[in-house]
Amino acid sequence: MSKGFRIWGLVPAWALMLLTLILPIFIVAGVSVGERGAYGGFEWSFDLTAYRQILFTLGWTDELEFDPKYLIIIARTLGYAAGATAISLLLALPVAYWISLQSARDKALLIYLVTLPFWVSMIVRVYAWLIILGNDGMAETVYRFFGGSDVPGFLFTPGAMLVGMVYSYIPLMILPVYAAVEKLDPALIEASHDLYGSRWTALRRVIIPLASPGLVGGSILVFVPCLGTVLEPMLLGGGRQLMMGTLIQNQFGGARDWPFGAAIAMVLLVLVVLVLILNARRATRQLEVQA
Amino acid sequence: MKKILLATTLLLPMALPAAAEGELNIYAWADSIAPELLEKFTAETGVEITVDSYSSNEDALTRLQAGSSGYDLITPSQHFVKIMIDEGLLMDIDASEMDAYAQVEDKWKGQWWDPENDYSIPLAYGTAGFAVNRDLYDGPVDSWSVLFEPTDLSGSIAMLSYPDEVVSAAELYLGVDYCSEETSEMRKVYDLLEAQKSSVVAYTSDNIENRIGSGEVAAHFWWDGNVLKARNDGANLEFAMPKEGLVGWLDSFVVPAGAENVDNAKAFIDFMSTVENATIQYNYYAHSSPVELDLEKAVYTPENAPELFPDVPVVFAEACSPAAQDLVTRVWTDLLQ
Repeated sequence: MSKGFRIWGLVPAWALMLLTLILPIFIVAGVSVGERGAYGGFEWSFDLTAYRQILFTLGWTDELEFDPKYLIIIARTLGYAAGATAISLLLALPVAYWISLQSARDKALLIYLVTLPFWVSMIVRVYAWLIILGNDGMAETVYRFFGGSDVPGFLFTPGAMLVGMVYSYIPLMILPVYAAVEKLDPALIEASHDLYGSRWTALRRVIIPLASPGLVGGSILVFVPCLGTVLEPMLLGGGRQLMMGTLIQNQFGGARDWPFGAAIAMVLLVLVVLVLILNARRATRQLEVQA
Repeated sequence: MKKILLATTLLLPMALPAAAEGELNIYAWADSIAPELLEKFTAETGVEITVDSYSSNEDALTRLQAGSSGYDLITPSQHFVKIMIDEGLLMDIDASEMDAYAQVEDKWKGQWWDPENDYSIPLAYGTAGFAVNRDLYDGPVDSWSVLFEPTDLSGSIAMLSYPDEVVSAAELYLGVDYCSEETSEMRKVYDLLEAQKSSVVAYTSDNIENRIGSGEVAAHFWWDGNVLKARNDGANLEFAMPKEGLVGWLDSFVVPAGAENVDNAKAFIDFMSTVENATIQYNYYAHSSPVELDLEKAVYTPENAPELFPDVPVVFAEACSPAAQDLVTRVWTDLLQ
C-alpha cells in the first residue's frame, strides 16, 4: 500500500467524522455563546451569559444571586447515572461469567438473548415497565404474594427510574464484560485455588483484574447514555425532579432559551470527555505497569 | 439566525428530493386529523399526504425556527400563531379570501393573534382543565382549589409537564394575569405550585388516558376532548368546571414561510372546512369546531358531551413577552429543581 493512499484513503473517514461529529459540536458551542432570541432561536455573537446563568440567576427578589439549582440538577444526574452503572456492573459480571461457562452453542444463543431487547423500540420497553410497576401490576402482585400488605407504590419513584435505566442499558455492560471474561484462562483460577486462594480471592485477585478492560468499557457505555436520558426519569420517575436531559429539552421548548440549553449540553459533553480522559490515563498507566 | 437560514436553504436542494406535483406535508398535533379525511382528500385530488405529529406548540415553533422544516401545513394554538407571525415564520395566504373563511364562525374572525385574517384558518378549539376518576374521588370539582390545594386528592394527582398549561391554570386560580411580568405575582404562583408538589405523584404528558383511566391517579390535568373520548371508552371520568375558569386554546391551520406546496395546503384547508368534512373531523377529534357543522350528523351535544360546552369562563392563553416567559420558566425550574 503506497503512502499516498494511506493518507488519501482516509479522507472519507475524516470527512464523515468532521461533518457528523466535530461540526455539530462546534455548532452547539456556537449556539451556547450566541445571543438568545426573544421567542427562541438565537443570533451569532460572543456572550457568556448562558454559562454565567448556570451559577447565577435572577432570584425572586429580582437580584442576580448565586443559585445552586442547576448544580444540584447536574449532581443529581451524575448520581443516578453512577448508581445505574454500579447496579449494572454488579449484575453483569456474574451473568457474563456464567454465559462464558456454557457450551459454544448455548453461548451464542444467550448472547443473542442479551441483545434481543434492542430490537424493540426503547419507548415500548419503558412502557412495559409502566405496566409491571403500576397499580395492580406484576410488581404489586409479587409483593402481595410474599405477604406484603399496604403496597408502597413502585411507580414514580427514584427506584423505578433506576430500574428503567439499568434495564435499558445493561446489555451494553454484559457484552464487553463477556468479551473480557470469555478469554479468561480457567487454568489461572485453578492455579489460585492450588495456592490456597479462596473463591473470594480468586474473584478479587484473578477474575476482576483480568476482566477489568471489559468492566471499564461497559461502565462507560452505560454511564454516558444515562447522563442524557430523558424517557426513564419522565415516565418511570414521574418527572418530579429535573434531570439534565429534560432540563436541556425544556430550554429549547418552553423556556425558549437556546443558548442556555446549548451551554448545559456543553457541560454534559465536558463531563463525558472528562470521564473518557480519566479512563484513558488509567489505561495508559496500567500498560506502563505491565511493561 | 438569518445566516443559518441561508446556509440551510443553500443545502436544501441536496437534502430533499425535488417536490413532486401533488404532495402535502402536514405537521399537526398527534392524532388530530381524521384518517378518513386524509384518505378522502387523496382520493379526490391525487395529492399524497404525509402527516408528522408533535405533542407541544414549542415543538412546532422550534422546528420552524431551525429553518426549512419541509412542512406545508401546521396547526399551532393561537398564542403560537401570534409568535410565528411576529417572527416571520408564516406565509400570508390571504386566508380571508379563502372558501374556508366563509365557514368560520364570526366570533373567531379578526382575533388578536391574526387581526387581518391573513395567515390562519381555525381548525378546533377547547380548554385545558383537569379530570377526576369518579371511582376514586366523589368530592366536588367546582374549583381549581380541589387540584391546587388538595385535601382528599393529596398523593393522587398528576400534572402535565408543560409549564405553560400548568402555570396558566394556577394564574386563573389565583387571579393573576396571564403572562404577568410582576415577580411578586409570579412568586405567588410558585408558592402555590410548590405547596401542591408534595401531593403530586408525577409531572408527565405521556400515557395520560391510561394513568387516570386505570386509577393510577385520581386527578389529572388534561384537555376537554381527551377526557370526553376516554369517558366514551368506558373510563369513569368527570371533567371539572372550576368557577375560576378554564384555559382556552384554538388551533389553526397555517402555512410556514417557504412551504413548497402552498396550493395543496390551501386546498386541504378548504376541504377540511366544508360542512360535511368539518362534521366528520368534529366527530373524530372530539374537540369543538370553529366552522359550521351539520348538526344532524354531529355526534357530540351539550347533553352527551358536557366537556365541550363549559358553563364557566374560558380565558385564552396569550403570547408572553420574553420577560414574562422567563418568569414562567423560573417558576417551573425552581419547582422541579
